[in-house]
Amino acid sequence: MSKIFLIVACVAFATTALCESCTNPQITSTSFTTQDATIVTNIAYISDFTLKCGNGEASTLYAEINGNIVPVSIVGENQYQVSWTEDTKTARSGDKVVRIFDEDGYAALRKALRAGEGLASVQSLSDVVINHPGAYNGPWLQSELLATIISLIIAYFAISFKLKVTA
Amino acid sequence: MSKSQNKGFTKEEELLLQDFSRNVSTKSSALFYGNALIVSAVPIWLFWRIHLIEIYSSLILFVVVTSIATYLLALAYKNTKFTLKHKIAVKREEAVTRDLSKKLSEDKKMSKKEKDERILWKKNEVADFEATTLSIFYNNALFLTIVIICSFYLLPTFTPPVNYTVSIGATAGLLALLSTGSQ
Repeated sequence: MSKIFLIVACVAFATTALCESCTNPQITSTSFTTQDATIVTNIAYISDFTLKCGNGEASTLYAEINGNIVPVSIVGENQYQVSWTEDTKTARSGDKVVRIFDEDGYAALRKALRAGEGLASVQSLSDVVINHPGAYNGPWLQSELLATIISLIIAYFAISFKLKVTA
Repeated sequence: MSKSQNKGFTKEEELLLQDFSRNVSTKSSALFYGNALIVSAVPIWLFWRIHLIEIYSSLILFVVVTSIATYLLALAYKNTKFTLKHKIAVKREEAVTRDLSKKLSEDKKMSKKEKDERILWKKNEVADFEATTLSIFYNNALFLTIVIICSFYLLPTFTPPVNYTVSIGATAGLLALLSTGSQ
């Protein structure tokens, strides 16, 4: 029994040693956002980024988006992806900053949440910026309204001409 | 008008009557029917491309509705022209008389009766042309406006064939009805 305990303790120690925090992180990212909102109800935000640490691979990553903490998907070696959707009405254009945390940062975030402190005080590993240029919601003036307005103007002229002649 | 009724009139009187009757010449009638056909067929494009009506399965509907609308619109043109022609003739009488008298005053050989006839003929021609164009413009403008409003704002919840039939049929009917008024 004590042998099993020793093995478990050793594995746990080794894992902890592997999961040491990422130093000198270098991040490069590409992003995508929905730009045509005429037939969709939600705007999708996707950020694809590569993270290289000075001391090898990073551990599991987490991202803070609009005050929520979500896990980051691993899509390849050193490659990560984080995505979410927002309602077309609430999605604002401009830069969105996604803060990335490693295991240590995540623990600090949980601690801050428990203590009721703001998440902004926790230092992030790195930040990813997603630029949303704004989505196209259809023309400002509906074409049928424009057609109606033009035809009403022409009809007005027709009626006024007729009234002028018959008066 | 039967032939027996016409016996009492001279040829000139008949011509004069024809000028101011509700009946229109073949040329004028062709113009009215041609125009009415084009205008009542134009909304097919609107229903095909915008309201996404099934074009091949609705061919019979298109033919029937377009024919009815063409007939009703031509009727509206004709009635509106008749109403307008008299009023335009009265309005233009003075100007036409002045204009033509100036031109004909140089011709000393022409009798007064002939001059009057020429003035009457010219007045009729002017009034006919103005009434025809204004009648076509007025009815076309109203037809297309009412069709657009009906199809987009009054009947958008109906299926495209119902929307098409009701908006075109009702508009053409309404214009034909309105044209029977004396104003």
